[in-house]
Amino acid sequence: MNLKELYQEIILDHGKNPRNLRKTENFNKDAKGHNPLCGDKVHIFLKLNDNKKLEDISFEGQGCAISMASASIMTDLLKGKEEKEVKEIVNDFLEMIKEKDEINTNLLKDDEKTKLMCLSGVKQYPMRVKCATLSWHTLTSAIEKSQNEINSESLEV
Amino acid sequence: MNINNIKKEFPIFDNKVHNNDLVYLDSANSSQKPRVVVDRIYDFYTKEFSNVGRSVHYLAVAATNLYENTRTSVQKFINAKDANEIVFTKGATEAINLVASTFGQNHLKEGDEVLLTELEHHSNYVPWHYLRKSKGIKIEFAEINEDGEITLESIEKKITPKTKIIGVTHLSNVTGAILPIKEIVQLAHSKNIPVLVDGCQGAPHLKLDMQDLDCDFYAISCHKMYGPTGLGILYAKKTWLEELPPYQGGGGMIGEVKKEGITYGDLPNKYEAGTMATAQVIAFDESIKFLNKIGMDKIIKHEKELIEYGQEILRKNNSVKLIGNPKTKGSVLSFTIDGIHPHDIATILDEDGVAIRAGHHCCQILHDKLDIAASARASLGVYNSKDDLDKLNSSINKCKKIFELK
Repeated sequence: MNLKELYQEIILDHGKNPRNLRKTENFNKDAKGHNPLCGDKVHIFLKLNDNKKLEDISFEGQGCAISMASASIMTDLLKGKEEKEVKEIVNDFLEMIKEKDEINTNLLKDDEKTKLMCLSGVKQYPMRVKCATLSWHTLTSAIEKSQNEINSESLEV
Repeated sequence: MNINNIKKEFPIFDNKVHNNDLVYLDSANSSQKPRVVVDRIYDFYTKEFSNVGRSVHYLAVAATNLYENTRTSVQKFINAKDANEIVFTKGATEAINLVASTFGQNHLKEGDEVLLTELEHHSNYVPWHYLRKSKGIKIEFAEINEDGEITLESIEKKITPKTKIIGVTHLSNVTGAILPIKEIVQLAHSKNIPVLVDGCQGAPHLKLDMQDLDCDFYAISCHKMYGPTGLGILYAKKTWLEELPPYQGGGGMIGEVKKEGITYGDLPNKYEAGTMATAQVIAFDESIKFLNKIGMDKIIKHEKELIEYGQEILRKNNSVKLIGNPKTKGSVLSFTIDGIHPHDIATILDEDGVAIRAGHHCCQILHDKLDIAASARASLGVYNSKDDLDKLNSSINKCKKIFELK
């Protein structure tokens, strides 16, 4: 157990001053996520243009430092990416949180990968993994619109 | 038994958590178990096990006697008039579901009102919600005041000619408010309304006297009373248990079973269908003996000193905001810290071996009312000391340091 690994400076910074904490104007996709155990809530807004490029991504919600930082970093890194790329990065991130040691995708620069890896500290805290993954699952749901609300208790990770 | 030395009666405290002594402040969630209770379960299974109430062999008779002994102990502990007013359930949740379901069947119809309070745990709301869905009843909530209390007046305000039953907690698991149950019951009875009390937090921390409280139903959670999990108790006045229908059907609860029809067993069997949590019931007798040996008066005094001390040191701690300021308060210290989410607080405290709960504590209605998503909660048991609260406070200071708060 290592608290310093969990609460790294980047996490605390993003947790305190979340980027893209707002509602995208003219968003065309959105989804809500909820963790009924702790009450964490997130609402993700996307604006995908005609070329399926993520013109804007933002979120509203409230939660712990981990969940706010995760949503903040996620929105920061994905803005401007194409839908296909977004899916690849999301999968890569979720696999990293689940089992892998690193982020493999070539779609992110090294410093961006480092940012994402800051969230890997939750692996030592099984009860907190959902805090880090809620916004990512909610993003997937927004893109696919498969479900209106993501409930973290029905998710694997 | 000296209350200041009681930790050694609980084997869990022999273990380290993240290399630290365990500071257990989550007893409102579930209490730790004294050695006598753990040993009793082992002894029963290794030396005395049998199902109860059925066979006539030696072990069955002995086990049945032990099982019924606990019923009598509970009766005495809560000063119920009759041992048959004690029904064992799988938990307080089942006890409340039993009342909602059976009372609902016989006494509630569309448009009738059930009056609860904003302090209720989900387990005293969801079972009534089922009836809202199935029967079209209405659920009203008596409102808390700014101190997080439910007053007699707030109950009175919501009583209408359609109110058919009132469900109230004895002691809030979030604000710690102790409700004026006796007065609420008197008021309700003057209008012919029965009262169900959720005693999950009341039973481990208050002296109970059913005949004095005069409530109709009282639900108890045994695992919060230093007893085993999987066991709860419903106290109900005999007249209700005789009048209401059975809750579950199965073996042990019947009188006569014919192809044409069935009669039900006498009390308390009518409400105890199937093989019960036998070992837990028998071991719970040890929990009651344990509480009696210390004495509820001493426990109440000890916990009152602790709660006052806890409030005092947390109030002095900048950025800690206590939730609720009830005049009579028991066993729980819920708080928030501006700038740190309760889950982050709980994770950081855990590193120091300080176990608290973070979240909505199954009270979303209350958290909505307070306009907070979650809170941190330190809750007390007989084994806690001022030293535990000092450790809580210093770990809170560590949180503030990590999050760079003053």
